[in-house]
Amino acid sequence: MLENRAPRLDRGFWTITAVFAALSVLAILFWYSPVALPLVLPPVGAQPGEDIDALLRFMAAAGTTLYIFVGGYLLYFMIVFRAKKGDSPDAIGVQIHDNHNLELWWTVIPTIFVVILSILSVRIWYSVQLAQPANGLVVESIGHQWFYTFRYPQVHGEITDEMHLPLNVPVIMNVTSQDVIHSFWVPAFRLKADMIPGLINTIRFTPKIPGRYEIVCTEFCGTLHGAMNKQTVVVEDEATFDKWFHGWQAKNAHVSDALPKASAGAVDLAGGNQHLGQTTFAAKCSACHAVGPFSQRIVGPGLKGVLHDASHPNLVDGDKATPENVAKILQQGYKGDMGVMPNATANQLSDKDIANLVAFLNSLK
Amino acid sequence: MSVAEVHPGGIAGHIHPEPQGFVRRYIFSIDHKIIGIQYLITGFVFFILAGLLAEVIRTQLLHANGGFVSNDTYNEVYSVHGSAMVWLVIIPLITGGFGNVLMPLMIGARDVAFPWLNLLSFWIFPVAGLMLFSSFLMGAPVAGWTEYPPMSLQSGPGTSMWCAAIFLVGVSSTLTGINFVVTMFKMRAPGMTFTRMPLFCWAQLATAPLLMIATTALAAALAALFMERQFGVPFFDPTKGGSPVMWQHMFWFYSHPAVYIMILPVFGMISEIIPTFARKPIFGYKMIAFSSMAIALAGFMVWAHHMFTSGLAPYLQLPFMILTFTIAIPTGVKIFSWTATLWGGKIHYTTSMLFAVGFVALFTLGGITGVLLAAVPFDLHVHGTYFIVAHFHYVLVGGSLMGLFAGMYFWFPKMSGRLLNETLGKWHFWLFFFGFNGTFLPQHWLGMLGMPRRVPIYDPQFQFWNDVSSISSYVMAVAILIFFVNVLYSLRNGKKAGANPWGARTLEWQIPSPPHYYNFKNIPTVYGLPYDFSQPLPYKGLDEELTDSPIAVGGH
Repeated sequence: MLENRAPRLDRGFWTITAVFAALSVLAILFWYSPVALPLVLPPVGAQPGEDIDALLRFMAAAGTTLYIFVGGYLLYFMIVFRAKKGDSPDAIGVQIHDNHNLELWWTVIPTIFVVILSILSVRIWYSVQLAQPANGLVVESIGHQWFYTFRYPQVHGEITDEMHLPLNVPVIMNVTSQDVIHSFWVPAFRLKADMIPGLINTIRFTPKIPGRYEIVCTEFCGTLHGAMNKQTVVVEDEATFDKWFHGWQAKNAHVSDALPKASAGAVDLAGGNQHLGQTTFAAKCSACHAVGPFSQRIVGPGLKGVLHDASHPNLVDGDKATPENVAKILQQGYKGDMGVMPNATANQLSDKDIANLVAFLNSLK
Repeated sequence: MSVAEVHPGGIAGHIHPEPQGFVRRYIFSIDHKIIGIQYLITGFVFFILAGLLAEVIRTQLLHANGGFVSNDTYNEVYSVHGSAMVWLVIIPLITGGFGNVLMPLMIGARDVAFPWLNLLSFWIFPVAGLMLFSSFLMGAPVAGWTEYPPMSLQSGPGTSMWCAAIFLVGVSSTLTGINFVVTMFKMRAPGMTFTRMPLFCWAQLATAPLLMIATTALAAALAALFMERQFGVPFFDPTKGGSPVMWQHMFWFYSHPAVYIMILPVFGMISEIIPTFARKPIFGYKMIAFSSMAIALAGFMVWAHHMFTSGLAPYLQLPFMILTFTIAIPTGVKIFSWTATLWGGKIHYTTSMLFAVGFVALFTLGGITGVLLAAVPFDLHVHGTYFIVAHFHYVLVGGSLMGLFAGMYFWFPKMSGRLLNETLGKWHFWLFFFGFNGTFLPQHWLGMLGMPRRVPIYDPQFQFWNDVSSISSYVMAVAILIFFVNVLYSLRNGKKAGANPWGARTLEWQIPSPPHYYNFKNIPTVYGLPYDFSQPLPYKGLDEELTDSPIAVGGH
């Protein structure tokens, strides 16, 4: 017997649809209840972690709803439309090839969903990537096999155990690596940035809850990659932080004094030695700049002919390419649309070093 | 239009005598069916090896402090596991294996367009596979299947061997892609228009350009990495002016399309299996065919969503995020269409059908977590964690591998003439289904809670769910053992299948199992889609095939 009669959308179908709808409501209530996220995420410790959690909550609720309906109908149809014992062996199903209305709907509804999700994601992306405070405590972290070091502005030397941050103060975290690619991830902050040698990646956040938070490496970096989760971020109130920070500063005072220091005023360029400059360039500059034409970019442009290139008469900050202006950038660093270059303090350059470097750059024609 | 215009000359035009002698027939064969079966056997051998490596990984992770193997061995093990599963198992099995066996039969051709090229494609593959596994002898790669430099510049000589091996597999798949495209364009039977072509062939047609185009980017990246490692040519080393991020771009420009290489042909298999056992036409044939093409095209434009934490300019993240969301639409169309195909059916629950429906259920979950990952803010949290591991195993094991098993139970009778045992098959399915979910479901929250991937040791707070995962993985291993026992047992003792054990309607089921060397003595003429169960078969010129004796092969 050939069965060719189209089954109707009967009461069973609508009942099960109502069940799926009820389950979906429960799922949505679950994801928006305070019990859900702590099951799958560590407690959030910094802004914009809350925003990222809000996005996850929405996507998890929507995804669960979708899955209840797709998985539910799949299971329901499997049971209702199974071949039964009494069926003739050559019984066939109802011969429907398509239904343009239905196909239109299940293209349009997901499209609408994609638009909504895009809007929401872009908004949260904006809050995470662009809307964070532009000024704050600048902290650097450098990845090594297999630990992190941390640096603070105005203090020489690197901290090798834990990183301290003051509560409610915006943090601008610049990360890079000295060897292979690592990643800087604080699960409680919901943020990570890969530490890539030759590149500086930045994440910005504001610690909101005091505590000790694990830092985890998520890019494979060698034998002890799995053990690169032993260091912590300590978030504490500002007074405690200041105490720690001054202690750290004092401990390093003698180190700081011993280091060559650039003066605040204009650098005297007379007597710069281009051969010494070449050595300094190799040690301090070549990670980001090539001794090649302008187009040979590593992080910054190639510097061959930086003072003699007619097609690039101006420096990155818009000033004329003169030895004095090059010295000024070396001394003060650069921060702007074209990226970031550390200043003389961060690069540990003395006035003499700067004069030598300018002499070296001037010799590249 | 005369028949000669549809398939001008070549192997389609006449019947060649079957080569004699074991070596010409079964080793260096140019018969697409034999080559396909060679791919399947070789692929499954590599599957066993890479699967054993997976069990080493899970055994190590039974304890937070590891201890089963050393850290360095563990790193080698997971790197070779991933590389082998992608390049030596999934891709060759579904393109070289199922594609070769089925596609020419389904379009009514006597072989692929370039049989000798096909022979070359296949024989590159086991050589490359042995090279990849031999890297264990000299210090295998450690930086995962992605081999990001500068890490991959520092590891042992095996990494150069890895480059060479993957390069060769890439050559093999590129050749296969060319072969398939030409075959489908030039060698369809008369009347087999593109809009009458089975959906499995549509899926292969969408996959072939990915094989041809994307693989070349990978080849360039591998050549560069090899040159840098062996001859010091600085492409990626930042201390010499190279860029490690460039590798990531080149690698993912291949490897994201590769994700679709690994799933589109399986979509095609599911689109054949579900209608057959539901005794219903596939719902929305054109939309399924079109969505394969849309997915393949969009798959080329989303690679950088693997690199949201690598320091892309923030604005650059947006187009990649939104385009990735968009891929959910054609993928959703497929899932809804398969579900709708069940509606009003007369569903027969063979093992093949169970795997096909299981595929839909698990792949959907992998697809949903894929959308979650595409959202930049959430990705910033879970990138590089076990959440990623869970996501892509739902797509590649719950998806591709489940689909492969569905295909094996479905087409094994066509290849061997015997059915796989259904009792063993049901054991295989249920153990695999529960073992799989037990292994990979907990990894979602392990990742979100803070467990990074590629670690031989981990924070003890994660040990419980890792133990659940590891123990479930042993259940999967038992299921897979049952599958291989089933294959070996059924090859000799399975029930005789006959030409068409499932009552399926595509062309390959209208000829004997296994098919003759020449496939079709008379090339049939096709009058319609193969999915209408209430109509007579839409083929003419086939009848004598079923009763024909396999020896009556003439020269030309």
